[in-house]
Amino acid sequence: MLIRLYNVSKVYPNGAVGLLDVDICIKQGEFVFLVGPSGAGKTTLMNLLTRQILPTQGQVIVDGRNVVRMKPSEVPYLRRTVRMIFQDYKLLPNKTVHDNVAFALRVTEGHPRQIRARVAEALELVGLSDKAWARPGELSGGEQQRVSIARAIVGDPTVLLADEPTGNLDLDTSWDIMELLLRINRRGTTVIMATHNRAIVNGMLRRVIELDSGKIVRDDEKGAYGREAGYGMVLPG
Amino acid sequence: MRLATVWYFLAEGWHSARRNVSLISLGSIAACLFVLGAFALVLMNLNHISQSLHARIEIRAFLEDDLSPEGVAAVKAQVQATNGVSSVAFVSKEEGLKRLRSQLGERAGLVDILGENPLPDALDVKVTDPGSTAEVAARISRIPGVLGVNYGQGFTEKLVATAHLVGLAGAALAIVFVAAVVFIVGNTVRLTLIARGREIEVMKLVGATDWFIRWPFLVEGMVVGLVGAAISGFFLFISYSMCVRQLTRLAPFIPVITTPEPVAALCVALLVMGVLMGVVAGGVFVKKHLRV
Repeated sequence: MLIRLYNVSKVYPNGAVGLLDVDICIKQGEFVFLVGPSGAGKTTLMNLLTRQILPTQGQVIVDGRNVVRMKPSEVPYLRRTVRMIFQDYKLLPNKTVHDNVAFALRVTEGHPRQIRARVAEALELVGLSDKAWARPGELSGGEQQRVSIARAIVGDPTVLLADEPTGNLDLDTSWDIMELLLRINRRGTTVIMATHNRAIVNGMLRRVIELDSGKIVRDDEKGAYGREAGYGMVLPG
Repeated sequence: MRLATVWYFLAEGWHSARRNVSLISLGSIAACLFVLGAFALVLMNLNHISQSLHARIEIRAFLEDDLSPEGVAAVKAQVQATNGVSSVAFVSKEEGLKRLRSQLGERAGLVDILGENPLPDALDVKVTDPGSTAEVAARISRIPGVLGVNYGQGFTEKLVATAHLVGLAGAALAIVFVAAVVFIVGNTVRLTLIARGREIEVMKLVGATDWFIRWPFLVEGMVVGLVGAAISGFFLFISYSMCVRQLTRLAPFIPVITTPEPVAALCVALLVMGVLMGVVAGGVFVKKHLRV
């Protein structure tokens, strides 16, 4: 089991409940949607997996490592295997596309030649080889999200967490991004994606974990966004 | 650590310093270090003067004017036999005047105003232990034929006490100025932290270690401290050279430091201090403002 949450609860200092007694198992290579209304606990769950926050109760195991008991000095190494992409991309505007992607490898102190080769490979995978020297401000929203995906996958992470990656994109561009995430998933990377996009969830027919008020209310092997199933697959799995 | 990574830290630190440091900050750092350096120079000179006076400590026993050459020889023999005396040399009144002229340098003309030679014959007495100078001088002053003795009574003690006071005042000021420099450098680093907040957030999310994030800030602190210290060192060296030139002309008998080596060493020490203070300030402020 790649990810295991045991009775995890997270209550914020202001009393807001992030998660409540949650148990989750996720296998290597799975593609999991996290759905639910705003404030349901999707982002809390992702932040726990990257140890941006600690649970108030329970244990979080990622790739055999207990995230809760991990020493602070071990956290950077966790984040090299569990990478995130965001709705607002979090790109550095003053760096080129190439440098934004290379940044993720530079922090791991990789060899410059190796960094160049892997960045080129990642940019080719996301279809942005010709925009390597552009700055994020010169790209469309979809292209910026591709750069952010390239940055996330360039270090070959075990898990890719996507927090509303299509939230700012139109439907066609969103499908392009989903196609890309599927390709990354097929290479063996576990993808966990939080989304409100009903069409995408229903179209992909993957595992769906629904959260509400911090609790898991549904965990379907091949689920739909809501309780209505049977939209069928649009993209091959 | 890879060379490429070291180069990355240096480049990032240098660019941040160039972007964020203001002339006012650099000027303030340079001014603080300049005052510190000036105090150190005063202290070094006081010590130098006191050391050279100690090395030259001797008792001068002035002889009565009407002594015959035999009388002088007898007094000299008695002084030589005094406990604690290592050597005795006769200094005639003409020789004494010659020495005074050479001590006064450009102002030797003053001696001519006096008309006749006012100096008595004297004996220069070296003691075996500089600590017992006062006792030996008292014994010599009781020998018949000795008009009086002079061994710079109290002067060297006062000099040492002054050096001690200057040292204390310097130490107190040093604390204030070091704190000021650390604060100014730290504030520059804090501005960078704010300006690069997003970059730091991304660095943390993609798995940068604490030290990977901190190093460019330490380099930035180092650069700011080094440049501030270099400016202060430059002005300190120039202004000290000018002061020494004036002093050796106006008061040549004061044995100040005239060789450039000690001053250059002080400038190097200022540079090292600037770098260290920069690193400390960078480190402290990054730790305070950056939750990595």
